[in-house]
This record gives sequence, structure tokens and C-alpha cells, in this order.
Amino acid sequence: MTTRTMELLVGVFVAAAIAALVFLALQVANNSDATRGETYTLVAKFDNIGGLKVRSPVKVGGVVVGRVSSIQLTGEYYEPIVEMQISTQYDAFPETSTASILTSGLLGEQYVGLEPGFIDDFVMMLEDGDEVPNTNSAIVLENLIGQFLFSQGEEG
Amino acid sequence: MINALVKLGRNTLSVLAGVGSASIMLFQSIVGKPQPLKMFPLLIRQLYVVGVQSMLIILISGLFIGMVLGLQGYTILVDFGAEQALGPMVSLSLLRELGPVVTALLFAGRAGSALTAEIGLMKATEQLSSLEMMAVDPLRRVVAPRFWAGFISMPLLALMFSAIGIYGGFIVGVQWLGVDDGAFWSVMQANVEWGQDILNGFIKSLVFALVVTWIALYKGYTAEPTSPGISAATTQTVVYSSLAVLGLDFVLTAIMFS
Amino acid sequence: MENLVEVKDVFFSRGETPIYEGVSLRIPRGKVTGVMGPSGCGKTTLLRLIGGQLKAHAGEVEFAGQNVAQLGRSDLYEARKRMSMLFQSGALFSDLTVFENVAFPLREHTQLSDNIIRTIVKMKLQSVGLRGAGHLYPSELSGGMARRAALARSIALDPELIMYDEPFAGQDPISMGMLVKLIKSLNETLGLTSIVVSHDIHEVMSIADHLVIFANKQVIAEGSPEELRNHDSELVQQFLTGAADGPVPFHYKSNPYHEDLLGGAQ
Repeated sequence: MTTRTMELLVGVFVAAAIAALVFLALQVANNSDATRGETYTLVAKFDNIGGLKVRSPVKVGGVVVGRVSSIQLTGEYYEPIVEMQISTQYDAFPETSTASILTSGLLGEQYVGLEPGFIDDFVMMLEDGDEVPNTNSAIVLENLIGQFLFSQGEEG
Repeated sequence: MINALVKLGRNTLSVLAGVGSASIMLFQSIVGKPQPLKMFPLLIRQLYVVGVQSMLIILISGLFIGMVLGLQGYTILVDFGAEQALGPMVSLSLLRELGPVVTALLFAGRAGSALTAEIGLMKATEQLSSLEMMAVDPLRRVVAPRFWAGFISMPLLALMFSAIGIYGGFIVGVQWLGVDDGAFWSVMQANVEWGQDILNGFIKSLVFALVVTWIALYKGYTAEPTSPGISAATTQTVVYSSLAVLGLDFVLTAIMFS
Repeated sequence: MENLVEVKDVFFSRGETPIYEGVSLRIPRGKVTGVMGPSGCGKTTLLRLIGGQLKAHAGEVEFAGQNVAQLGRSDLYEARKRMSMLFQSGALFSDLTVFENVAFPLREHTQLSDNIIRTIVKMKLQSVGLRGAGHLYPSELSGGMARRAALARSIALDPELIMYDEPFAGQDPISMGMLVKLIKSLNETLGLTSIVVSHDIHEVMSIADHLVIFANKQVIAEGSPEELRNHDSELVQQFLTGAADGPVPFHYKSNPYHEDLLGGAQ
């Protein structure tokens, strides 16, 4: 085998590997802009985060705009505080917006649903590091059943 | 009891001595003044022997493993009405685990054993000694290009393995069993992360490449220069590198994905 | 007579087994020195000590006035460029043709152009009679041809010292004759110093100017062929004449024969 053929085949080998990498990067991996590129941070305090996890999606009307980057407890009452990385493409959430913890489907994973609020002259836009003031916590199934039974008991 | 402890101690010491001398060998071969002009043609040749010649077995195995994953995954997921999750199931198992691990195992069997046998034979026929007497360092001349070729090829082979495996899963899942085309790719894309899955899998295969190539070269270089010695060294290469890959895979998975 | 190599009171052991216990010898410059001795007495070890692949546990091995064991890596490599070794198996690189094998040391150690290298290689191949076999791979050569090709490779850099490790072992009479002639003529025409390690007494006696005989981990005799023929040691005489029994016994150390047989019956 001549050196030239060998070089050619090694070239084919490397090209095949690059093609595989491109395939994996473009076709297989998540390449929505919301999770890569420039982001800014919003935080939100909840009473209960349910099954929310780091890297859970943040959605507006079902469209992913960011991801949860950390979950911690703060303050003397140990409130869960959730930090989210939101794509700078979506940087105009008013301070009247609401963050809720929702579940996709009956058994699906939990995510943060952001709902943009109304805008008028007195409403400021949320900046990097700001807190979303209005939140709805996760619905915990056990509490819900408890409440239901309790209300049944009162009626009966 | 005492005897067992003595044996344990002796074995531990000999393993440590082996790791030590293997490290010295690797260090002496790859550390030093680089000579790109001399190294490059040797590297190309070894990339051909180690990489290109392993490509076929990797591609065929990858395709079949992806197809089996598609088939098995489908029959399980369809019971839960979750056949949409076939895409992420196939791609995540390949990218995180099967791609790096199976590639490393196949590589150890195909290229690792060949490296050990080749170097062992060069030692038995005094080619290594004769290099030394010609004032050419066999570590730099023989071991180093083979090490780099293995270290470079295996991650590339693992990428090909995963890519063609996902395609195999696609063929079985979508073309044959009728999972929705769009759902297959989009659910996959929603669940596969560049950094978390593809990059971590790539790092795994880099680590495996280092370990498998290193074991193969060390076993060849220290082989008893006789026929039974070389065949024993070849077997040891396959056994040790397979065990090392599976053990390290657990450790890496625990670090990366837990 | 000036000596190219001097070995002074060397002790060497492999593992627990002592190989040399106080060996001293000299290799005169420009001569063919034959090193003989029974199998397993460490003749090859001597060559590896001179080449610096092994280190003596005590004593000195000097090559051209330098203590080989104390040379640093780069000095050792410089010294090795001045010597070469013909291995028992030839040790040709199996993935290169004969031509490339001979060109290998030139490409490694010189900056010569391709044209000059081609000329030198052809000259070297011509001198061993293999100019027509340059395109063959080592696996296509007969044993004698492989050894001659290896010889061409070892003289490629025009060394001062060439060490032959069992050059006649396993050769048919014709290639043996060719090798004997080659060793002699190369030594004369190139002004080399040669060390021939062998136990083929007749061949070695016919070309050597100086002989060293090993036995019992020591040098038992050193001198010219005539001196050794008239040597008064029985051991030397047994070795030179190839007698089956003598100071080196035919029987491995054991109990007396009849005791052993009777003892087995008890």
C-alpha cells in the first residue's frame, strides 16, 4: 500500500468522524437557542417546588425559553428559591409576570411556566438577577386529596 | 490466613510495580522534544492500522446495536403508550454508555490485541533491541506513534458508533415499526444535551482510549519474548482492558450523571 | 596493540544467577576477535554490556576509552552510532523492504538527500551481494539472505565496531561460507573492529586474529589462535577439540549411577 492511499484512507476516517459529530450535534442534540448562547438570570421564590429539578425547562406558553440553574433554600423561613437562566432573546418580561410550577401531562416532568403580565407606563421590565414577584407553587397531590376529603367531611 | 494475607500483599505490590513501570514507559514515550517531521508519517501509518482498519467492525456493530435497541425499546415502550420516547432512549443509551463502552471493548479486541502482538513480536525478533543499538529510542519510535494513534482513533470511532447506532434505531423504529418520524427526532432533541450527553460520552471514550492503548502497549512491550509469552500478553490485553473499561465506566458514570 | 573495548573485572548476574564473576578481556582495534564458550555462558550478555543495554553490577566496560555504563543518554546514543550489532535473528524491520531497512539508520541519523541515501544503500547491498533483493520484504528472504541484509544495515553508518551475535547459527554450509568471507573482507576493507560471538570453532578460528574463551563465568583463555591451540588448560583443549567428556562432564551432577538405581528400588 502506498503512502498516498494510506493518507487518503486516514482522511476518509477523520472525515467520517467529523460527519458523525456534525450529525450528533445538529440532528440529535438539543439545539434550541434557549438553552445555549447568551442568557440572563431571573429568580423566583415558591412555597413548594414539588418535583422541580435543576435543568428543568422554563416555558412560556409551552415554548422553552430557559432552564432552571439552581434550587436553594433562603431566608429564616427556608423558602425555596429557584434561579433560572433565560435566553436573552426573551428579555422583556414585565414585573407583573407570574411564575408557576406546572406538570406536563398527568405523569410528566415538572417545569416552570412563566406568564407575562400586563404592561403599562408604571410597570418596569425584569432585569438580570431580578425576582419574579408573583408565583404559584407546585400542586402536591397529597395536599389536594387531603383538602378534598376535608371539604367532603364538612359537607357531610 | 497469614498465607492469604501474604499473597494479597505480594499481589498488591506487583500490581503497583506494574502500574509504576507502565507509567514510566508512557511518560518516556510521549514526553520529550517533539519531532513532528519524523512523527507525522509514522502517525499516519498507525492511524491507518489502528483506526481505519477498525472502522468496519465498529460501523457494523454500531448499526446492529442501534437496531436492537430500537426493537427492544419499542416493544417495552409501546406497552406504556410511550413509543415517542424511543428516540431519546436509543440516543441516550448510545451516547452515554454503549457508544464509548462497546467501542472500547471492540477496540481492545481488534486493535489492542494486534498492538500487543505486534510489539511483542518486534521484541521477540530483537527488532526493539536492534533499534536501541542503532541509537533510536524504541519508545519514541515504536510506542509513541501507536499510543497517539489509539488515543486519537478510539474517540472518533465511538462518535461513528453512536451516530450510526442512532441511525439504526431510526431505521427500525421509524421505517419498520412506524414510530412517527417527527416525534422520533424532536423528542430526541428535547432530551439530548450537547454538554451533558455528547460531550460526557466523548470524555468517557477519551479515558477509555488512554487506558486500552496504554495497557496494550505495555503488555506488548513487557511480553515474554516467546510464542507462549506473546499469546499470554495478547490475552491479558483483552482481559485487562475490558475489565478496566467496565470498571472505569462505572466510576465515570457516577461522577458525570449522578 | 591498541584496544577499542576493554572489559575490566566485571560482575554480572541475571536475577539470582551469576553470569560473570570477574571477567576481564580486551578487543584489539582493527582485528576480528572471536568470543567462544559453551551455550548459556553469557556470550550475548557481553555484547549487550558493550552496547550499554545492560549494566554490569561491578567493574567497568570501556568503549573507546569511555565507561559505557556511566554515559548519559545522549552520550550513549552517540557512542552507539559508532558501533553496530548483528542480531542472531537479523532483526530486520518486518514492515520495511530490505532497501528501506538498510536506509533506516541513514534516514534516522543523517540529513543526506534521498539521492545520496539511495546510492549508499545500493553500495552497501552490493557489498553483501543483495543489490537485486532491495524490493523484497524480510519475510521473503532465506535465513542467510536475511542475515546478509542485516549486515548491510549494520554497516550503513560505517561504524567502528561491529558485533556479530551467533552469525553462523542455523546456516547451511554455503551461506556460512559467504558470511565467513564477508566478515573477513568487511573487516579488512572498511577498517572495522569485529567481535564474533559463536561456538562454531572452525569458522571462528579461521577468521579471528584474537580469541577469548569463556567458561565457568570467567575468561579461561585469551590470545591468538596459535597460542590457544598450544594452551595447557584441559578445558580449553576440550572446547577446541569438541571432546564429549572432560573437565566439562557429559553427565549432569548427580549421585553415583548404581546408588541411584539401587536407591530407586528401595
